[in-house]
Amino acid sequence: MISIGTWLKWSLRDLKARWVQVAAIALIIAIGTGTYAGLSSTTRWRVASNETSFGMTNMHDLRVRLGKAAYVPRGSLIAALNEVVQDGTVLAAEERLIVQSQVSVETKDGPIIVPGRIIGVDLSDGGPHVDSLFTRNGRPLDAGDTAELVAMIEGNFGKFYDLEPEGALTLSGYWPMDYVGHALAPEYFLVMTEEGGMLAQENFAAVFTSLETAMALAAAVDSVNDLVVKLTDGVDAEPIAKALQEQVRDLGGTVLEKLDDPSYRVMTEDVEGDQLFYDILAAAIFAGAVFAAFNLIGRVVESQRHEIGVAMALGVLPRVIAMRPIMFGLQIAVLGVVFGIGVGAGLGKVMGDVLEDFVPLPFWEAPFQFDLFVGVALLGLVLPLIAIAYPVWRAVRVTPVEAIRTGHLAARGGGLAKLFKNVPLPGSTVLQMPFRNLVRAPRRTVLTSLGIAAIISILVLIMGMVDSFFDVLDRSEKEALGDSPDRVAVDLDTIYRLGGTTVEGVSRSPALADAEPALQLSGVLINDETEIDIFLTFTDFESTLWTPTVVEGAVDPQTPGVLIARRAAEDLGLSVGDMVTLRHPIATDYGKFAMLDSQVPVMGIHANPYRFYAYMDVGQTGMTRMGPVANVVYGQSAPGVSEFELKSQLMSVGGVGSVRSLAASTRALRDLMDQFISMLWVMEGAVLLLALLIAYNAASINMDERAREHATMMAFGIPVGAVLRNAAIESALLGLIATVFGLVGGYVLLERLLATAMTEVMPDLGMDIAISPVTLATASVAGVLAVAIAPLLSYRKLRRMDLPSTLRVME
Amino acid sequence: MTQSNGAKAVIELERVTKSYVVGGTEVIALNDVTLSIMEGEFVSVLGPSGSGKTTLLNTIGALDSPTSGTVTVDGDDISKSSRKALFEFRRRSVSFVFQSFNLFPGLTALENVQFGVDVSGRKDKADAREVLSKVGLGERVDHFPHELSGGEQQRVAIARALATGNPIVLADEPTGELDFVTGAQILVLLQEQAAEGKVVIVVTHNREISRITDRVIQLSSGRIASDGPPAEGRAKISDLAW
Repeated sequence: MISIGTWLKWSLRDLKARWVQVAAIALIIAIGTGTYAGLSSTTRWRVASNETSFGMTNMHDLRVRLGKAAYVPRGSLIAALNEVVQDGTVLAAEERLIVQSQVSVETKDGPIIVPGRIIGVDLSDGGPHVDSLFTRNGRPLDAGDTAELVAMIEGNFGKFYDLEPEGALTLSGYWPMDYVGHALAPEYFLVMTEEGGMLAQENFAAVFTSLETAMALAAAVDSVNDLVVKLTDGVDAEPIAKALQEQVRDLGGTVLEKLDDPSYRVMTEDVEGDQLFYDILAAAIFAGAVFAAFNLIGRVVESQRHEIGVAMALGVLPRVIAMRPIMFGLQIAVLGVVFGIGVGAGLGKVMGDVLEDFVPLPFWEAPFQFDLFVGVALLGLVLPLIAIAYPVWRAVRVTPVEAIRTGHLAARGGGLAKLFKNVPLPGSTVLQMPFRNLVRAPRRTVLTSLGIAAIISILVLIMGMVDSFFDVLDRSEKEALGDSPDRVAVDLDTIYRLGGTTVEGVSRSPALADAEPALQLSGVLINDETEIDIFLTFTDFESTLWTPTVVEGAVDPQTPGVLIARRAAEDLGLSVGDMVTLRHPIATDYGKFAMLDSQVPVMGIHANPYRFYAYMDVGQTGMTRMGPVANVVYGQSAPGVSEFELKSQLMSVGGVGSVRSLAASTRALRDLMDQFISMLWVMEGAVLLLALLIAYNAASINMDERAREHATMMAFGIPVGAVLRNAAIESALLGLIATVFGLVGGYVLLERLLATAMTEVMPDLGMDIAISPVTLATASVAGVLAVAIAPLLSYRKLRRMDLPSTLRVME
Repeated sequence: MTQSNGAKAVIELERVTKSYVVGGTEVIALNDVTLSIMEGEFVSVLGPSGSGKTTLLNTIGALDSPTSGTVTVDGDDISKSSRKALFEFRRRSVSFVFQSFNLFPGLTALENVQFGVDVSGRKDKADAREVLSKVGLGERVDHFPHELSGGEQQRVAIARALATGNPIVLADEPTGELDFVTGAQILVLLQEQAAEGKVVIVVTHNREISRITDRVIQLSSGRIASDGPPAEGRAKISDLAW
């Protein structure tokens, strides 16, 4: 009996003889296992760090938010809560006052003015106890700061502008304030604004101060407009939320659960979405590795066919004969996994550092995920073995005489060549060979194409995600700006009468051109059991300055009706003409509001991809019982007035909460995305490398298999360059097939990802699949060009080919 | 060089030596070989395994280059030619017929022969279909190599060599994989080529085959042991005993 040692030695020699191809497959497996283990490690780190961070800052379970301009006396919201909860169900509940404001601060590059929020919190007894503030640097707020012009600035904003731990800032109305530290708060771990701003730290500053200070700044004596509630562990929030909603309806309040908080939702759901993406990524790379391993081992087994026949003739059992190729496959797998652990650890470290820097959390840990790596290593070991099973089984099931047969008697079938023999092809027989060769070996053609296609589909998925995201930004920006790139929204700190001094003061400001007041209220669209929070804007549908673009239906200023986003219509199951319940604020008394459910028809669908935008004609404001009022003024900077100058000038106008450039949030997001994209380029580079590795592997195997054909061509005087050109054409054809598969696969994956993960992570985003021409071109170039050049790497081998020996090889 | 019968030397080898190093040991495959082959000559190269037959053929066909000495074909010293010139030489001057046929499996019989036509790039192109008919395969033009018998494949290989129109046909054990009847058919074809004025050199270890050629060059340990017409005179194919 042949010893294991002999088989091992023999298979090691096989390995050595094909070390370049082996290294290529091992590298593919390494990238597959390493990428999966490394990226999945980040998932675990994020889950653990998020949980701890939200836990240690006592993220609220419920929040009551009053509509714009609505205030209630301090204690009212707590009282409403107490009406619906039993003893022991609430751990802590705190009222807050949140008001809009401009925030001006001196950065290292000069002064900036950005819109923001003053968040007044209860500092008594070491508070706030719900949505508490983690001091990133500087000092925390304490009871001594109550009613003082002292604040903490939101940590992401401070980090973005590299602000000192302590400094000065100015709020609307030229209120000066000292900030004593940077705070991380759970609602702003990811800075998401109510207006749809994402990762908005460049253009949004939250300022935390004492509740009393906020009251003084907003001139809202002893008033609040927000309640955060932390429930006792294990208490179901949903029934309390429902009961509380009924309780605060007459106060104009909306109850939100933890998952309604954009920062919390994105951070928690995004982890799952990302993990799905990693799974897809790893599956595609593994698929590529398996196909590549299958091809190589198939070739190795084929080249051992004669030896297998001899062994069978000598009476060696098939399962013993199978040892050699199995060991060969196992060695490739071990090499791949060992490299993979290194790749995974390295990638995990890099990604961990990026994440820690990108989303600073109060708590971040990134321990080595031993069990994950062991699991992935096992997967990396098993997959190549699956790939070799079929070729090995096929090799050992033939009769010895069949295996020993050589020369023309051993000739294999012609694949699909017969089917295509009458297909007229241009050029000489030499030029026709690449196509003929492809159809002659359909299995290898398909497997190689699928391997490359798997990688191309990742490329399409990654770039398609970015394209789709930018498509949303483009559509949103186009809709928000119309023909005015400098369009701004001047948010007033409460609701003002049209024609009054505040609205007129803003409208007539020399810094602002084409001013148009509007009323913007928080509301809810309801159909059956589905509810969607919206920003309802009452605007002039006959305005010459800006009107929403109607993509379906028609607007009639005389007829009541609401324009909603396509995504909202889809989620609510509504069509144009259907009736929808609109929950909106109504004025009940001066400064007091309640929520009322009205039935209104859906008059049309607007073009803004954000789900929460809804519009009604200004003539319909009567339903709010507020009369002719406004709380926002849209317009654009007067000629020659910069955005900064406009903000500076409007800071002095009483009643101005903040000034938002409508292009700024998308601009900032684009800038951030550009940072991401530079990271994606690295990923795309890795993907291209994978495509090249698989293509090289296939090409290299091809060159081995076709060695005798190439030698014959050269014996007939065809130069090496022409032989190589043929191989490149064959590869390019393979790449073309792979690219088509890859584009289709990428589209399907993108559709799945957008339909599942993205819908959960960002339900307000009406994201459609958008694949840009650049993506198509990149995928095509990667699929066809990178694959086509792969055979060129065999130039040296071909040039050094020993023609006489190759021509005499008897297979 | 021109013979008294007016035939001129197409191939001339002058003191050709070819040596290899195998496992640290120098192996001399051809040792100081000098010979001339005239146009229209049907030559067999005979000898046991390792005697240098195939090396001689490969040297003449520019698949291999001599370690020393000169190889002149049609007046050109190919032992000093550039790599590019050697490719050109193989396209224009020699055609190979291999023991294991080396047909392109992705091409039909007709396309394999057409390959020969295409690579030569001659203006007076042969008609591939006609050449296939000439070797008796007019009915098998659309068959792929794996659909043909060994003899048929070798006939396609010869047709491919003929389709190039090159003046020298080099056949390395062309009947090695074939049975007697099929082998004889192949030899007839090769004999016809010589009769048409081509130089046909057949490498074989089969002494019977050498009986039908004009000239038998016997090699032993890389040297020419004998060179001349078959000892018992040229035989007919029908006289061969395989």
